Amino acid sequence: MSETVSDEDAPLRQRIADNPRPAIRWILGALVLVAVEFGAFLGLVFRLLSTIGGLFPDNPGVALFSRLEESSEVIPTLLSRSLIPNDGFYNGQQWVDTFLGLEPAYAWLLRVLLIYAYAFIWLGWLWVGYRTFRQHYRYADWTPRDDVVDRLRSHRWGQFGFVLVLIFLVMALFAPALGPTTAEANLRQPYSHYTEFYDEETDEVRNVTVGTANLGSASEGNPDSNVGPWSYDDFGRFHPFGTLTTGKDMFTFLAAGARISLMIGIVSMVGAGLIATGFALLTAYYKGLADLAVVIASDSIQALPVLLVLILASATFSGTWLAELYNGAVMLIAIFVLIQWPFLWRAVRGPAFQIAEEEWIDAAKSFGQKPRTIMRKHMLPYVIGYLLIYTSLTLGGIIIAVAGLSYLGLGITPPTPEWGRAISSGQPYVATASWHISLIPGILITLIVIGFNALGDGIRDAIDPQSGSGSGTAQESKADEAAAGGGGA
Amino acid sequence: MSETVQRDEESVVDDALVEVTNLKTYYGEGGLLSDNPVKAVDDVSFGIRRGETLGLVGESGCGKTTLGRTLVQLERATAGSVSFDGTDVTELSGDDLKNWRRNAQMVFQDPESSLNDRMTVGEIVREPLDVHDWNSSRERRQRVRELLETVGLREEHYYRYPHQFSGGQRQRVGIARALALEPEFVVLDEPVSALDVSVQAKILNLLEDLQDEFGLTYLFIAHDLSVVRHICDRVAVMYLGNVMEVGDGEELFDDPANPYTHSLLSAIPTPDPTSQRDRITLRGTPPSPRDPPTGCPFSTRCPAKIRPEAHADIDDDLWERIEVLREILRERNRADRSLTERARELLGMDTRFSDIDEILQEVFQTPAGTDAGTGTEGTTESGDPLAGVPSTVSEPIERAAEHVRSGEEGRAREVLREEFGSECDTEMPAHHEVSESDRTSLCHRHKFEHDEPSAFFERTVFDG
Ligand code: SF4
Repeated sequence: MSETVSDEDAPLRQRIADNPRPAIRWILGALVLVAVEFGAFLGLVFRLLSTIGGLFPDNPGVALFSRLEESSEVIPTLLSRSLIPNDGFYNGQQWVDTFLGLEPAYAWLLRVLLIYAYAFIWLGWLWVGYRTFRQHYRYADWTPRDDVVDRLRSHRWGQFGFVLVLIFLVMALFAPALGPTTAEANLRQPYSHYTEFYDEETDEVRNVTVGTANLGSASEGNPDSNVGPWSYDDFGRFHPFGTLTTGKDMFTFLAAGARISLMIGIVSMVGAGLIATGFALLTAYYKGLADLAVVIASDSIQALPVLLVLILASATFSGTWLAELYNGAVMLIAIFVLIQWPFLWRAVRGPAFQIAEEEWIDAAKSFGQKPRTIMRKHMLPYVIGYLLIYTSLTLGGIIIAVAGLSYLGLGITPPTPEWGRAISSGQPYVATASWHISLIPGILITLIVIGFNALGDGIRDAIDPQSGSGSGTAQESKADEAAAGGGGA
Repeated sequence: MSETVQRDEESVVDDALVEVTNLKTYYGEGGLLSDNPVKAVDDVSFGIRRGETLGLVGESGCGKTTLGRTLVQLERATAGSVSFDGTDVTELSGDDLKNWRRNAQMVFQDPESSLNDRMTVGEIVREPLDVHDWNSSRERRQRVRELLETVGLREEHYYRYPHQFSGGQRQRVGIARALALEPEFVVLDEPVSALDVSVQAKILNLLEDLQDEFGLTYLFIAHDLSVVRHICDRVAVMYLGNVMEVGDGEELFDDPANPYTHSLLSAIPTPDPTSQRDRITLRGTPPSPRDPPTGCPFSTRCPAKIRPEAHADIDDDLWERIEVLREILRERNRADRSLTERARELLGMDTRFSDIDEILQEVFQTPAGTDAGTGTEGTTESGDPLAGVPSTVSEPIERAAEHVRSGEEGRAREVLREEFGSECDTEMPAHHEVSESDRTSLCHRHKFEHDEPSAFFERTVFDG
């Protein structure tokens, strides 16, 4: 009774204070990781603040925050283009201004590798944190979640998906540092930025605007005017994925586009997921009329042809403030949330109803637990797993749909980079030397969809040990998702 | 008969903790596609004395679980009252109801389902205390540890998850949770039926010990009479939403009054091989609680059903066959007919509902001793299936058959009921007092003009 008991009563804070070393070691790790990228973090925070400020009528603090964001760029960070630069020029004998005089391709590659290594170190840090908690601070020597984690650890396909998804998330997150050049200089304002290059004829280094250089490095199908993947253009600029028809760097374009695509995909899935879960819990708990009302609402939404609604909404709202918000992304998100929640709700309604039948719900009612708490504590943990599976399975479809809309000329307003537009612009050149313009983004979309599907499979198998890799519900949802994707693209 | 002497008890309401009066709990009312409501509990009255264990027995689907759930207000009563220590709890709502809930708790049937697997045992047992803001959180944890010990677990199980426990241990956790708020009254919904036989006795002993220690009052729901026998002081037998018989346990087992209790008891294998008791097999299945019989709830299956004067002298075998015929017609009415089946019928095509002549053939021509209704070897040489039947019986059956042929099965059932029905079919029996200990039984046979059920069984059961 005595010691062990009072020990076990301690809250987590107390437990850490009693045995601080593992926790401190873990936190120190985080500090080191943050320190090397401090400038970037600060920049991100200010960026976020100014974006939020921009949502309000008189833009409070936007100017201040953007100024702060700019000044934070001065702080040296490990993985920035200023520390490992790849823009330089060849002066006849050697590369000038690149990192250690390396060829730009290698300088760029080094930076990319470092960035990914950095991201994976963060991942490792999280894992160590989980282990530390489990080993030093948790009372229960076993929880059901341990089994889930263990199953996930031996699920190769799911891990493959996880790594793929992570690669794309890092790509989106570190887009400014990853590209061989920046979206600002290369894509948005090419005529207010300059690039130096070595003119062999006159044997001198000349300065031109990026725009001019882009004009000279366009990929237009014939072998004379084409900058393919992993090559240099006439201005000594390196293009890992080649250039677009406009001569803009495709890797930069795609990295920046990943931000938009993933953001639309993830935010709309989170939104739809929240609505779906809310309704699933309410309908499963109250049943009857509540259920009927939601069934009718969701049926009417599901009866709408997705593509048509998207086109209609894009056309109706084009030119209004809604369509301009975040280059049209906000409107797309709103539409996707509206269209997707019934699918998700359908998917989790069954599990929610099943959980609502469990006797522990009755037990909770019998001692007077509040309905809200019952739903949150006794139902939600069981539904959330299914939700994760279905959202990750549907996410690929949304990304395809966004790309498909851009392909049709709807959706994200140019010149904001978006993958679908790259595909559509490269379409006339598929059979020519410039095949890379359509193919590479196409492959990326395929990979990201595979990644999310594999991750969804992994989560499903980890959560539910009984389900084989091809259970009925998952098959159905894949079919759903394929249909959604097909409808969008 | 039942003159067992019980000393100082005057009436059921004597020192009752829970008093149920004309309680009805119906399901599925007011839905958009509402059919008849399911009358899960249909006009039930009884009392539970402070500190006693009342057993509630019946086949599955008889409404006993619904009744238990209504008593702890997990189900809303449709009518009637449940008075707990003088307050009618069916009237409570909001905070009053929440506060009252401390007094009445429930132990659930399936220990696999009654504990939330994502919570530790400690959290599970603690939740009721948290909900009712019981003392400080430190004291709550302390109390949970004590409770775990009380139910025979160890305090270090606090941080374990239900997955790590066996069924019996999980049921102990469920019991600890039910006791957390120190209730006076606990509904035990088949608390051991999902457990291994070896564990059942331990849990039952635990429940008895807890009752002694905390002065608990139990409603013990079971479908197994043998379990009830040794834990319950009094027993209520339920059938189709009605309490058929309620009274002192020993007495009820030794000398059952109601025909339904008779048949339930006869289904228990007796340890005594020389016992005179024969098995009474019930024919058919209980009727749907959506559409219970008009008269006595047991009338469709009762082996002791009262016969009308006019047919008092036909032999038992023929009487049985008539009852089978009526049951078949009722069954046909109940079975859902799909649209295609109705269309086939209209087009004069074969349906799975065989025609009336075949039925008559099967019911009345199968040799005695084989199960009527299953025989296909029925003699076909005589054209008339009712050949050997006295005309007083065959004539009304012919009339009914005629109605069936013209598609009016409702009329056919009516004809049969008018001819062969008795007060059992038409009138709801009263709760007759059948012993000095206030045991009551729901049966017309307790009226003085009829034989008592036990006398009836004495007379008939042994002839088979
Ligand atoms: S009233 Fe009739 S049908 Fe009901 S139990 Fe008594 S004898 Fe049987």
